[in-house]
Amino acid sequence: RPRQPAGPAVSAACTPAEDDKLLTEPLSHPDFFSVKELFTLKDLFDARVHLGHKKGCRHRFMEPYIFGCRLDQDIIDLDQTMQHLQLALNFTAHVAYRGGIILFVSRKRQFCHLVESTARACGEYAHTRYWQGGLLTNAHVQFGPGVRLPDLLVFLSTLNNVFEPHVAIRDAAKMNIPTVGVVDTNCNPCLITYPIPGNDDSPAAVELYCKLFRMTIIRAKDKRRHMPLLQFHGTGSASRAPALGTAGWLGKGPPSPVHGDPTAVTAVEGL
Amino acid sequence: MDDHCGVNGLAWLEEQPRALGWIQSVSGPPLVPRRTRNLVRLGLLEKPLWLDVYAALPPLREPVYRVPRPRHGGARDPIAPIFYREDSVRARFYKVYGNGPRPFDLTQLNFKSTCQRFVEKYNELKEEGKIEEEKLFEETGKALLASGILLQRRGVDKVAQQEQQGAGSRDPALQLQLQMVLEELQEKRKDGKEQPPELAGAQKENPCPS
Repeated sequence: RPRQPAGPAVSAACTPAEDDKLLTEPLSHPDFFSVKELFTLKDLFDARVHLGHKKGCRHRFMEPYIFGCRLDQDIIDLDQTMQHLQLALNFTAHVAYRGGIILFVSRKRQFCHLVESTARACGEYAHTRYWQGGLLTNAHVQFGPGVRLPDLLVFLSTLNNVFEPHVAIRDAAKMNIPTVGVVDTNCNPCLITYPIPGNDDSPAAVELYCKLFRMTIIRAKDKRRHMPLLQFHGTGSASRAPALGTAGWLGKGPPSPVHGDPTAVTAVEGL
Repeated sequence: MDDHCGVNGLAWLEEQPRALGWIQSVSGPPLVPRRTRNLVRLGLLEKPLWLDVYAALPPLREPVYRVPRPRHGGARDPIAPIFYREDSVRARFYKVYGNGPRPFDLTQLNFKSTCQRFVEKYNELKEEGKIEEEKLFEETGKALLASGILLQRRGVDKVAQQEQQGAGSRDPALQLQLQMVLEELQEKRKDGKEQPPELAGAQKENPCPS
């Protein structure tokens, strides 16, 4: 169900220059949300993220991310996974900071409930059921005009029920939506913007991913809520504290849908 | 046209070489996906909010589609198999003793299996250097027995077969006697066939005395 975007009237108290600073300042830090401290290599190992599938299931494009093959079972290189995970979580945090809509996608029935509850805990969205053909590419027909598409898709598993690449990966690439995805040794990481090579079958691993995504998104949103207050406190002009909407964050109006029709924006929906 | 693309501005975008589909751009991945950047520049797409973030924090590899083709020529597997020096000891342990007395409890993170203890003991004894190489395996088994772990050799059937064969070879005198008895029986059967009718009739009556 599409979320009503925040109206520009809420940010009237902030000047455009300050808004700009709010958005560009986090980009100058390599790890503004301290995403690195959320996980360690040992956490990944204990959650069995390094375990891949058997040698016969290996996808050719996953070879750079694989450390070796122990008795025919692929072992994923956790040093690379750390790097990729840090980038992916950082990107997710920035998108959440800017008020982007994040959609969790997973077609694994075993983790469907976990993914949905993670999304609910973050205040974001999840789609763990059958993906109808035109959900992204034909959104105006499926949902009606003026739908805001997600700004980021997070895949907890990039394969669908028949072990083929999920249709949403290709559709997101078509619609200029970035994707973050956990790619196992039998997945194709080509079209995913920020792949995370790792195990997507063990419950321990998927619980770890869900926990990390939930923590980053909540952290980013909290930071966004507190940033204007910190800024104003720093500059000393406390009287110009901006009006915070019930949504809990402050921001410019998001970009209108693809074909450029600005929609009438009224309510600010809460998380 | 207003552009808020990235921290560096748009000047570097004009210098991007046009990347062919099947060759990665030589100067490194572009800071922004080419298609999105072009659409925004032309005004066909409103600038998405992730564009600045992508420009500031690009991924390690540009998400360009590549056609998955199978390897040509000989099957060259680029991924090395993982083997350790102790694997030879482990292989011998499993061959001789099977899985070991204690089942694997994978719920514990620092669980040590019987095989792992065996290997560690083996390495300890090897480092001490007092025992010869050939006897090291048996000595480790004895050492583990001393510490309370009972190892049972697997393959009881094989052992029983070996015992039978051993029994046959133990009494050659008995075998010779059996052979002589067999030859006598065969001769008797031949004699019996040369005189069929009387003996046959007599033999037929015999089984049913009542």
